[in-house]
Amino acid sequence: MSSEQKREYPWSHYTLACCRRGPAPPTLYVLYAVQIAVVIVLSYLSVVLLGPLSYSGISLFYFVYPFIIIFTLWWGFWGALAGYIGCVVGAGLMVGLPLLPSIAYALSDLVPFLVMFALYRGVLARLGVDPLMRDLVEREIRGYRARRSAAWFWFILLNGLVLNALSAEIGVGIQYAMGLVPPDAYWFWWIGWFVGDLLAMVILTPILVKGLTSMVERYGLINHGWFT
Amino acid sequence: MGAGISEAGRRLEKTRVRTFLYSMRIGTPVERLHVITKVVLMLTLSTLALHMFNIPVERGGPDLVGLALLLLIVVALLGAARVARYLVTSYLVLALPVLLGIFVWWLYFNRGLPGPRMQLYLWPGYVPLGLSTVVLAAALAALYLRARSVPGPLAAALILWWLSLMPPALDESPMTSWARIPLGAAVAVDVPRWALVVAVAKVLGFAVMIYSTFLLLLTTRDAEVAGALRQLGVPYRASFYASLVFRNLDTVMADYTNIRNAQVARGAMVARRGPLARLADLARISVPLVASMIRRSVEMGIALYARGFYSATRITEYRERRPFTYVDWAVVALLAALAVFDVVLGYRFDSMLRLAGYG
Repeated sequence: MSSEQKREYPWSHYTLACCRRGPAPPTLYVLYAVQIAVVIVLSYLSVVLLGPLSYSGISLFYFVYPFIIIFTLWWGFWGALAGYIGCVVGAGLMVGLPLLPSIAYALSDLVPFLVMFALYRGVLARLGVDPLMRDLVEREIRGYRARRSAAWFWFILLNGLVLNALSAEIGVGIQYAMGLVPPDAYWFWWIGWFVGDLLAMVILTPILVKGLTSMVERYGLINHGWFT
Repeated sequence: MGAGISEAGRRLEKTRVRTFLYSMRIGTPVERLHVITKVVLMLTLSTLALHMFNIPVERGGPDLVGLALLLLIVVALLGAARVARYLVTSYLVLALPVLLGIFVWWLYFNRGLPGPRMQLYLWPGYVPLGLSTVVLAAALAALYLRARSVPGPLAAALILWWLSLMPPALDESPMTSWARIPLGAAVAVDVPRWALVVAVAKVLGFAVMIYSTFLLLLTTRDAEVAGALRQLGVPYRASFYASLVFRNLDTVMADYTNIRNAQVARGAMVARRGPLARLADLARISVPLVASMIRRSVEMGIALYARGFYSATRITEYRERRPFTYVDWAVVALLAALAVFDVVLGYRFDSMLRLAGYG
């Protein structure tokens, strides 16, 4: 990509670089920790508030999922790590699910988010899609006319269908391999997982992006690369 | 006067300490264990449970005796930690539907097993008055006394009642079914006999894993984890990071409650509304929650910076670091022996029972 094209988008400084030199500023260091605590609490609530049907690691409405999406878009690896730890501790240990299976199938809340981050910053950002998803709700981003239909297309295709299916496959597949899902019930579990995450994602992500992303960017707290 | 001070001191002396969930009594045998021992304990028991309930039917099927033994160990440890009462009055209600759900799923969605088959009623074709009615009434009364509301306990009692209708032997025996009111046609499904054994094994195994997890959470402090990480040689910043995560859990929960209360005071979430409106309420909570998270992080970051977090050459270690005692070594050795005996050497507890002349 030429430097002229780079200048074309107001998000060109959000890349897939590893990290800047030196340690992260204390504010970011604390923020990375506190956002994990937030995801743990929200994961816990998304299981507890919906009652017993949310057990077996599958919530009918896993409303923390869109939080993990936007935290990953903001804070790269740390957002995805929050998803993983939130699933193990908040949606797992704190509601009494076993540690060993939780550690294994919580990978479903780590891998898809890392893939999403790489795709948004590495590929879609170059195609004119905002890697912070502001074009889902904004008409204009710093003078650049947002491509809303493209943003929604990629959001639904990537997050709603492909990565959500990957998440369900990893999560339910690991549970099945560990003998936690009955052989004949595999697809019930899979569909429950898929639909529960999809609903939350489509309903809440735009609201969160609209309410928070600009503020976080104004504070200068968004990662330029994977780690800082 | 001295006696008065010591009396006051005794009264003020700490007897309980806050843990991840609830609080625990100081000085119990489980509280004295090192946090690493407790983690090893939970992981070993979970691994053994997974191994025992996943033994294929061709190799003798799940080890029910072994699973029951593991559950007994966990219950004994919960009793020794003096947290069993709290668990019964709070999380038991949450965990029971999980176990019930696991039983039903594994009974009906596991039809590919070999061996003889048996019939289970989905509906026997009549309302039996007998043991099942007693189950319904007792469950409803017990759950109503606990929850003080009708719909939830009634649903739970009806599920238990339905489970008690499933075995034809119970419905057709005059001992357990004293009178019958015909209602509709009988509906039965054909399931392998092994499915019942596997379902019971899954319930026992999950109970072991769930309650051993609770044992750890009810008897471990967040600061203990950070201290243990330091003892394991994890760098200070990484341990402090873990400590920050755990210490902020309460703060975030308090923030969530405050924001929710503030919004209720302004009229949100007052009326009973549809699921979509409730989701929108949730989204409205999330924005101030994340905003307060960012504000707090900025304040804490400045505090860390002011205290020379990055420039400090000498750090103060966690007070919660405790030595790994002989008892800890003994518990870990016992668990290792149990794992080798069961997983590596492949011994089964039910076959030992048979050798001893039982079963």
